[in-house]
Amino acid sequence: MVIRKKYLFYTLAITSSFIAAAVTGVDSFVGGQPAFKTDPWSFAFSLFFVGSIITLLISLILSIKIHGKSLGAKILDPSFKNLRMVQKSELKSHIIAGVMNAINTVGYCSIVSTVQDPSVILSFSQIVILYLLLMESITEKDVPTLVEVQSSVIVTFGAILASISLTGAFQLFPILIVFLVVNPTWAVFSIYQRKLKIMRINNRPNDSINIRFWNIIFSCLFTALLIFFFDLFTSGSHLLAGVTASIDPYYFMLLALTMGTTFFAYVLYIRSLGMGKASVNNAIRASTIIFAIPFSIIMLQLGLITEFSTDPVMLIIKVIGMVLIVMGIISFALTLVKAYIFIDVKTGRPLKETMQKLWNIRGVSHVTITSGKHDFIVKVSTRTLMKGYERIIRKLDEIEEIKKYHWESVLKDWEKI
Amino acid sequence: MISAYILITMHPGKSDKAIKEMRQLDNVAKISIIAGEYDIVVRAQVKNLEELLDVTDKIQMIEGVSKTTTQIIEKEISLQ
Repeated sequence: MVIRKKYLFYTLAITSSFIAAAVTGVDSFVGGQPAFKTDPWSFAFSLFFVGSIITLLISLILSIKIHGKSLGAKILDPSFKNLRMVQKSELKSHIIAGVMNAINTVGYCSIVSTVQDPSVILSFSQIVILYLLLMESITEKDVPTLVEVQSSVIVTFGAILASISLTGAFQLFPILIVFLVVNPTWAVFSIYQRKLKIMRINNRPNDSINIRFWNIIFSCLFTALLIFFFDLFTSGSHLLAGVTASIDPYYFMLLALTMGTTFFAYVLYIRSLGMGKASVNNAIRASTIIFAIPFSIIMLQLGLITEFSTDPVMLIIKVIGMVLIVMGIISFALTLVKAYIFIDVKTGRPLKETMQKLWNIRGVSHVTITSGKHDFIVKVSTRTLMKGYERIIRKLDEIEEIKKYHWESVLKDWEKI
Repeated sequence: MISAYILITMHPGKSDKAIKEMRQLDNVAKISIIAGEYDIVVRAQVKNLEELLDVTDKIQMIEGVSKTTTQIIEKEISLQ
């Protein structure tokens, strides 16, 4: 069935945020357990350690074939065939993503362990969306438009307002860790997860289940190494405490619950990363903050957590933040112009050279050499028609091999996913 | 695997129903309604030329389709 890709992209990203919000609630309960409350380092290691085991089990179950198609392909990602070894072409991206995830976790742990109420500090991690915009302008040959910058700023500040707490205090060192460690590592992690998703492995699109499985394996490995060296220099025993907590049946069950649920949130997030830019994905993911509120209320009612501010001022601030997040996401969703450009070229010039010139134009997402009436069919995406003219049409006019071209805007499209 | 764009010109007022039918066709990977010389662009993915002929035939049989132009993709660079 051919469906609208835009709908699937937003459905995946928002469903992932919804599951992530449920995980946040469970995380706060698990993190409050005696073994982890005073030792976030062992908590981080235990999460990855038990997460690796539970991810392996889920991935194996999803590899079971039903009527010739794997269970994972039927319910989560149509590209998934079975659990496989990491390929040489994806190894570099997996290592970078794993290292970034590990450093990110260690940065997060250092904040949680040094600041009594980290919510004020951690709310600034939402600024990662702006880091991603900057990085994408370099890596994805797509300079952000004013609309993208505006929407990102709206979502970022909305997310800060929605997640901020008035009970914490500003401290320079933890804020520096957020800006210099947590945010850059998450941005690089997201970009490399996206790189992995858009790769082709064995002549088919890479699948999000294998990406998630190998990411958690590499993250576990690098987190263990980082905590090992931290223990070595501080004469601590966080790694040992993490291993001990992981094999305790009660903690194992709790960690398995949180990491099992996280698996599904990540698989959907990675799938949506393959369809849209990391900055837009992370902006949509900010809606986790909105979904987290009902989960926090439920957990409060069940007596699983004890803190949830009902101060009217705080609630108003949070509502303003939520409205800004929703507005920013809608703004992203409604401002994308796509077009096909049909190009005829002069004879006597190598097509491959012209193809490269076309590919170098910012905003071009597909270049195809075709046999038939037209020599090239180029697909472009731009936030505004004006940007389309300035960044694409002007550049086409500079390519002397082109005899004629015509731009045809896409009004609506559907895609088989 | 062979990929091709099928550029379609439609008779006025028939697009909605035609697209519904095209969405049900096998080997159709993408459908775009566009504004300009053509009305619809279909991207087909087939195993061989025989299958491409089959897709083109089915599209031409749909009520409202006035003309099709098939462009076989020889080389492609894409972000995704």
